[in-house]
Amino acid sequence: MSFSKGDQVFVEAPSGTGKTTLIHMLYALRTDYEGELLWDKREVKSIDAERLSELRAKHISVIFQDMRLFPELTAWENLEIKRTLCNTVNAEQVGKWLHKLGIGHKKDALASTLSYGEQQRISIIRALLQPFDWLLMDEPFSHLDKENIKKSIALISEVVQENKAGLILADLDENHYFNYTKTIML
Amino acid sequence: MSADTPKYLLRKLLLRSSGASRLWAAWLSLCVGTILLLLSLMIWWNFRELLQGKSNEDSLGSSFITISKTVTDDNMGNPKATLFTTTDIAELQTQKQVQEVGALVSNHFPVIASTKGSLGFSTEMFLEAVPDHFIDKRPGEWNWKEGDTQVPIILSTEFLNLYNYGFALSQGLPQLSQTSIKTITFNLTVGEGDVKDTYTGHVTGFSDRITSVLVPESFIQYANIKYGHHATSEASQLILKVKDPSDKEFVDYLQSHKYSTNAEQLRWSKMRAIVDVISGTTGLLALLLMGIGTIVFILFIELTMANAQQSIVLLLQIGYSPRYISTFMLGKFVPLLLSAILIAVGVAISAQIALSIWAQPMMLRISMLLGWPIWLVVIFSAGLLMLQVKKAVVNALKKV
Repeated sequence: MSFSKGDQVFVEAPSGTGKTTLIHMLYALRTDYEGELLWDKREVKSIDAERLSELRAKHISVIFQDMRLFPELTAWENLEIKRTLCNTVNAEQVGKWLHKLGIGHKKDALASTLSYGEQQRISIIRALLQPFDWLLMDEPFSHLDKENIKKSIALISEVVQENKAGLILADLDENHYFNYTKTIML
Repeated sequence: MSADTPKYLLRKLLLRSSGASRLWAAWLSLCVGTILLLLSLMIWWNFRELLQGKSNEDSLGSSFITISKTVTDDNMGNPKATLFTTTDIAELQTQKQVQEVGALVSNHFPVIASTKGSLGFSTEMFLEAVPDHFIDKRPGEWNWKEGDTQVPIILSTEFLNLYNYGFALSQGLPQLSQTSIKTITFNLTVGEGDVKDTYTGHVTGFSDRITSVLVPESFIQYANIKYGHHATSEASQLILKVKDPSDKEFVDYLQSHKYSTNAEQLRWSKMRAIVDVISGTTGLLALLLMGIGTIVFILFIELTMANAQQSIVLLLQIGYSPRYISTFMLGKFVPLLLSAILIAVGVAISAQIALSIWAQPMMLRISMLLGWPIWLVVIFSAGLLMLQVKKAVVNALKKV
């Protein structure tokens, strides 16, 4: 199976069938698999730590199912630590995105005090603060209501288009969040 | 937001205060250890320099000593037994400390010095000659050739002191200054029987280095052939130019060959052994202290990184590189290490200057600057410490 830049892939699978494992494998967080997994014709297992960090900072972005924010930092600081690493989006833009997703007022709250829904929206914005060829999403809207899902999809689509990137979304049920070009059932 | 935002956030994530007192204890132990190490090295080096430079004034890093064979009950009947053979000299020349060997050749004919008038005296005496370049203060008129009736003489300052403070005082004779002696001429009668001549002798200079009555080498060679009982040119004493007369191996060599010398430097040998032991022990203690400091320091780094493990994992996951994180961690710890070493260097430099000033009134020349071995140790230990800390950070990152 191969994906090309610009593909919009939907991975549909019931709970416990390996969605997160697949996303983690694609993001090179897990290498305990058999077979071959290639990024740009390069075996993921053979990519060294320095090159991997470059790949994660410039080419592949991810929205984790479990959000993975720094609990001791505020919402804003969680975004700043990513934004200043890549420097492709300015602080003003980040402020606008926060308001767009309805969490502007939570900017200075510690991540550990945010609700799951708020954490998820911060996590979505964080994933968009870097240049990328691929955006990986693991149940990215599981804690959001319909209205917020809509806003998030609009923001993600806009940034994906700007980057001319592809996306891979893994979720439980069939959905039409994006104009998928491929659907994989696990 | 300012450009150093990630640094501020990284500090917040990675350097959560975990026992800062332990860090400062490690720093203190490193600092004190380095100070002790540098001071012990400094003492050892200065003492060594002092001994090597403890030349009779003018030589740079070497000393001159005069040696002779000890007269014992066994050899006292045989004057030839106390002469140095060419084999003895050749063997001496192979010694590590010996840079040059010069023979002191004595007269083998009778010499009588006498003056007439109110200060009239007559005394039998001896003469010796040594290669010119061994003489510390060679006067301008230091030469003699066949046919010359004037013979220049260099007298040991020790002899003049013996006369002025011993003989003259006890006999009620006038004390004499160096310049007044230089104005006196006297008759030098050499040889006996039919082969006898009288020359005019005058003292042209004084030597601190050689305890003897010196005449030009050409005069002794000529006179030993013309007036001598036997034409031997074997040396009665040797003058040695040595790098470090207190070197234990050299002192042992002299003793094993029953060569005696009155050179004060040899007495420093024992002192030097003591200084070596003291500075060696202090140095070892310092190394131990530095070792403990380094271990605690490294443990602190490992602990800090273990505490921040979750943050490090997440930083790596969002695109921070291991190199970025290790550079950041080193940026925090390396200045601390450097400050400990810099303070130690500062203390050592001040101590060296203080030592130099303190030693000046005692006529001991100690440099104001730290010796090169100290700098070498500074560079080496700083490099080693950096390497250890870098290794600790990289290893801790690998464990994440």
